[in-house]
Amino acid sequence: MRRPPLSVWRLRHWRLQAVLTALAMAVAISLPVILLSVGNGVSEHELRDLESSGYQIAISAPGLHGIIGAHDLVKELDRTDAVSTASPVLSVAVDLFHAGRGPIPVLAEGVIPQAFTATLSPEELGLFPTPLPLGDPADLAHWANGSYAGPSADRILLSSPLAAANGLSVGESLNLSASAAPEPSTSFTIAGTFGVPPALLGPTGAFAALLPLSDLQLLTGYARNPSGSLIDAADTVQVALAGSAATQTGRVNQVAGVIQGMYPYYAVSTLTETVEQAASAAAILSGFYLALSSVSLAVGLLFLALVLLRRVESMGPSIAIRRAIGVPARLLAWDQAREALWLSGVGLVGGLLLGVGAVEALATWGHGAVQEAAQLAIFDPTMLTLLGLSVLGLGLLASTAATRAALRLPVTEVLR
Amino acid sequence: MAVSARGVSKRFHPGGPEEVRALNQVSLEVSPGEFISVEGPSGGGKTTLLNVLGLLERPTEGVLIWNGRDTASLSERERSRLRLTGVGFIFQRFFLVPTLTARENVELPQRALGRPAVERRRRAEELLAQVGLSHRLDAYPHQLSGGEEQRVAVARALANRPGLLLADEPTGELDRANTESVLDLLVGLHRSTGASVVLVTHNPTVSARAERHLSMVDGEIVADSRSP
Repeated sequence: MRRPPLSVWRLRHWRLQAVLTALAMAVAISLPVILLSVGNGVSEHELRDLESSGYQIAISAPGLHGIIGAHDLVKELDRTDAVSTASPVLSVAVDLFHAGRGPIPVLAEGVIPQAFTATLSPEELGLFPTPLPLGDPADLAHWANGSYAGPSADRILLSSPLAAANGLSVGESLNLSASAAPEPSTSFTIAGTFGVPPALLGPTGAFAALLPLSDLQLLTGYARNPSGSLIDAADTVQVALAGSAATQTGRVNQVAGVIQGMYPYYAVSTLTETVEQAASAAAILSGFYLALSSVSLAVGLLFLALVLLRRVESMGPSIAIRRAIGVPARLLAWDQAREALWLSGVGLVGGLLLGVGAVEALATWGHGAVQEAAQLAIFDPTMLTLLGLSVLGLGLLASTAATRAALRLPVTEVLR
Repeated sequence: MAVSARGVSKRFHPGGPEEVRALNQVSLEVSPGEFISVEGPSGGGKTTLLNVLGLLERPTEGVLIWNGRDTASLSERERSRLRLTGVGFIFQRFFLVPTLTARENVELPQRALGRPAVERRRRAEELLAQVGLSHRLDAYPHQLSGGEEQRVAVARALANRPGLLLADEPTGELDRANTESVLDLLVGLHRSTGASVVLVTHNPTVSARAERHLSMVDGEIVADSRSP
């Protein structure tokens, strides 16, 4: 049977060292595999989410009351050329009380039901019952031209995790309060539940409730200011464009310009800009992952270099006799390089298996956000190839230290 | 192989407080096919002389001529190449590579020359047969006796058909029977290959097998005689 090359065959004479070295390399390599695959997977997912969003333009306003006169603003926007739907959203943290329990912190989102569903992506829409069973689809009856004197349906939708965690069922009543106290509060009937998008939502995001905008405005003091003047506030207004305008970046920017002209005091941004910003953030994160990976690989490289140097010391007479015989330096260097490549290669394969295995294990048996993130991991062949080449390159670099030491051995002293 | 040392000195740590003058103005002609023994007390410069003759050390002063070529101007690579093709080293402590079998140890110098595997293998088996180790081809050094190890080392030294064999106390770690056996082998190979042999020893019995006898003290050759 043909034996492997001598340098590789020699590894069996220091099996434990070789196994430990390969194992250390594998652990060092698995970290970049995990970081880059999960990190890039999450970033890609978020970008995809943004790109597949059901709206193209967002209007937002910083400050206490955000966008003022949300219902009228929506009417104006709906009359604007190329605008299909405008959906105001008010997000406020409130407290939930139910059957003597509470306060339970909840992120409440106030929306105009039919406008809200019109600005959801197909994936998001699948998470909600349609039409939204909140009554008053345009939220105009209760709002009643800013009087808030119309009849309210007093209905609310809860996220599935919130309902499940607190044993809340459809048809039951609950109370929402803008403060942590049970009174004053408003009673709502649970009209349904909605799913949580497959994204990295924290507990607050997962514990969400959806109700008509006017109900939330009244509950939280965003309907009128203390002096009684109408505020009708929202945080953002999401604007969906009609037809081909939605898919043409130039047209989206043009409409955004028109809207900005109408409301110069609000921030108008397009989703394209948001995607670009998210892509920049993802690139920065990728750089951070690469930096962390470099540290891990550098530690692996140093360990490999140390082991190879230790090998040169322990194999001093064998190396010295080769040099005395006249074995060329390039062959000694190649011997060291082959050992380093072999160990790096085994470490690389082990690291890839370990990294992929760890991600798969987290995706299968992990919990919460960790599991969701692991499930989004992308094992990019280009990235893995580059990682592999880097590891082998670093292995060769490590071998140069050992080669240098081997070529500097005092031959006649060692062979004395 | 003709080697000529003219006024060769070798100093270690020259100019420092720990300077050691290992060779002092040594002149020596090694003619092709000569069998020379070098005797002398420890620290007399015998091993350093072998290292200088075998191009492992550069002389601090003097000239070393190899087959008519001054070695002073040779690069390390050229010196390595000359060692590989022209010199066979035999050491007191054998210095076989422990991770290689007897055959692989003998193949080692041939591998470095880039000889084909089949040729290497045939040559190694032929040499190991000459030293009486046909049955130990695949044994590792730790599986061999001291005498067997030294015979493998002799076979390795002859692998590339060198013109000069340099043996530093080759029987120093062997018992009497193995000493005789290795000496017989060296003398026989010297005759059959025609290589020059320079053998360092403390043992007068070993020295007696040589044709020419040098005696070194304090880095100088103090006696140079031939067997009658």
